[in-house]
Amino acid sequence: MMRSTDDGETGGDDGAEQDPILELRGVSKSYGDVTALSGVDLAVVPGTIHALVGPNGSGKTTLFRIALGLTRPSSGTVDAPPEGIGPGFQRANFYRDLTVAENLDVFAALTGADDDAWREEICSTLRLDRVRDRRAGDLSGGFAKKLDLALSLLNRSPVVCLDEPMGDLDDVSKSKLLDLLADYRDEGHAVVVSTHHLGAFEDVIDHLTVLHDGEILLDETRPAIDLGDHDSLQELYVSRSLAAERDTTDGT
Amino acid sequence: MDILSLLRKEVVWSRHRLVTLCFLLLVLPAFFATTTAAFGTVIPEDAPVGVVAENESVTDDEIALVEGGLTLFSEPRVYENTSAARRALQRERVYAVLAVPPGLYDEGAQNATFTLIVDGSMVPFEQPSKAIQGIAGASLDREFDADVTVRREVVGGTHSLSEYLLPVFLLGIVMLFAFTYLPYNLARERDVLDRLRVESSLDAVVATKIGYFAVLMLVPTVAFGAAAAYLNYSVTLFAPGAIAVLLLTFVYLAAISTSIMILTNFDTVGRFLNVAVLLAAITFSNLVYPVGFFSSVRREIARLIPLHYSMIVTRSLTLKDTPLAMYGDYVLGLVGFTAVSLLVLKLSIERYKRTI
Repeated sequence: MMRSTDDGETGGDDGAEQDPILELRGVSKSYGDVTALSGVDLAVVPGTIHALVGPNGSGKTTLFRIALGLTRPSSGTVDAPPEGIGPGFQRANFYRDLTVAENLDVFAALTGADDDAWREEICSTLRLDRVRDRRAGDLSGGFAKKLDLALSLLNRSPVVCLDEPMGDLDDVSKSKLLDLLADYRDEGHAVVVSTHHLGAFEDVIDHLTVLHDGEILLDETRPAIDLGDHDSLQELYVSRSLAAERDTTDGT
Repeated sequence: MDILSLLRKEVVWSRHRLVTLCFLLLVLPAFFATTTAAFGTVIPEDAPVGVVAENESVTDDEIALVEGGLTLFSEPRVYENTSAARRALQRERVYAVLAVPPGLYDEGAQNATFTLIVDGSMVPFEQPSKAIQGIAGASLDREFDADVTVRREVVGGTHSLSEYLLPVFLLGIVMLFAFTYLPYNLARERDVLDRLRVESSLDAVVATKIGYFAVLMLVPTVAFGAAAAYLNYSVTLFAPGAIAVLLLTFVYLAAISTSIMILTNFDTVGRFLNVAVLLAAITFSNLVYPVGFFSSVRREIARLIPLHYSMIVTRSLTLKDTPLAMYGDYVLGLVGFTAVSLLVLKLSIERYKRTI
């Protein structure tokens, strides 16, 4: 079941009709003879949670890095919002020698994030208050992930791109994060999540893009996604991916 | 069996760290062993010595004969006049100037007094210059009928070895910081580089870091100044020109070390490479001993290294009462080299952006 907004509508219904806030057109990327991405189109619209899923090596991370401007595509274009993108990394990305509070201060200043109330809300929701004065390098995996998430949300960017945001989080924190992301979406922002584990996001997803071997296998907006015989998006994704893998193996 | 398994693990691990181990166990020892060859002699054998006529009545033949006599134990360089020779002395192009008196070929000339002019701030050359005084006296005495005496004249203030070493050690600290702490600091930031690149830019991060650490270089300068004041040393560490050259030196060294780190993707190899560059720079730029102590080949190598000029200007402005303008061409060269280093740094950043 899809997580609903305050007025009972899913966030994606309105957002799908809007112009994309982040758009990748015909993006390809090769590393020598290896093709990581092949002519990928991706449009992320405001007010949606856009899930990017695919098995290991499908090109999710490459696509993510290209969207963030960290990797240059071999061909294709990227239109990102001028306000920038809030980046959330699979491997926590912050100053390990600074405390949690110092990291928040540094990146708030760097991104011009001056909404102290919002910062407090993020810290409170992610329960970062209790480790505020701890050296970031000494944080457990879960808190390190939370700090990384807090840093990506700090500037209230129109788009946040989060790579495996659930990684290392406990079940309570996962639930709180889903609520936080749903609220963020409902405020009109776009949230892109790259994940191996679609099940955790099943209820909040507005748009699903499945990647396989660097190509788009499925790219649809809810409620248009046809589950067919499957009970969930997770089942659909696994089924489609396995079928694509069989096709690749058979050479068809 | 445990020991065998663990030993096997060590071998496997070593295979993954082959470059580092080769550097530490092979390249570095070989480098140290080879550099010992540079210290073969205590007294310089072919130090550059200026030759200049005391006045206009000294003939070219007399100068040529003196020049020939000096060739046995030095590398003589003839100067047109005394001021040009003294300028060369202050700029460390020569380490002594022999002033040739007139009338060496005059019939009935009984005595001839040459003057060996040395710079009081060139402390390591004090004893060698006394030796040169004796050798030159004996050598020239054989060339002329007159009794030759070589008088030694020290120009500029005299300094102790401790005072001489102060600017040397200060530049050493700057080098150490640029080639060890800065790369370490950059390697630590590898963990946050992706976020920094999204939220800011690698160019801004690197520029800020180098600028900040350059300002920090004023701290050791103050520490050295305080120590010098406490010890009653006669040095001027806070000469604006000296500070400017010190900061300029840090900027180009930092640009080099940062370029190495970026080109090696902030890897450990980059840190080892920086240590190697540091050792090579210390050895070949002749920071402690003046280049005149070494072979002509080593001298030419040193004169190709910007650090050599940084050291001369810093040493001169802190120990001698000479204006910065005296070293204008050296400073201009350092500014040019800094610009080239920063360009290389910019190109390495662009390469990083393209390849990562």
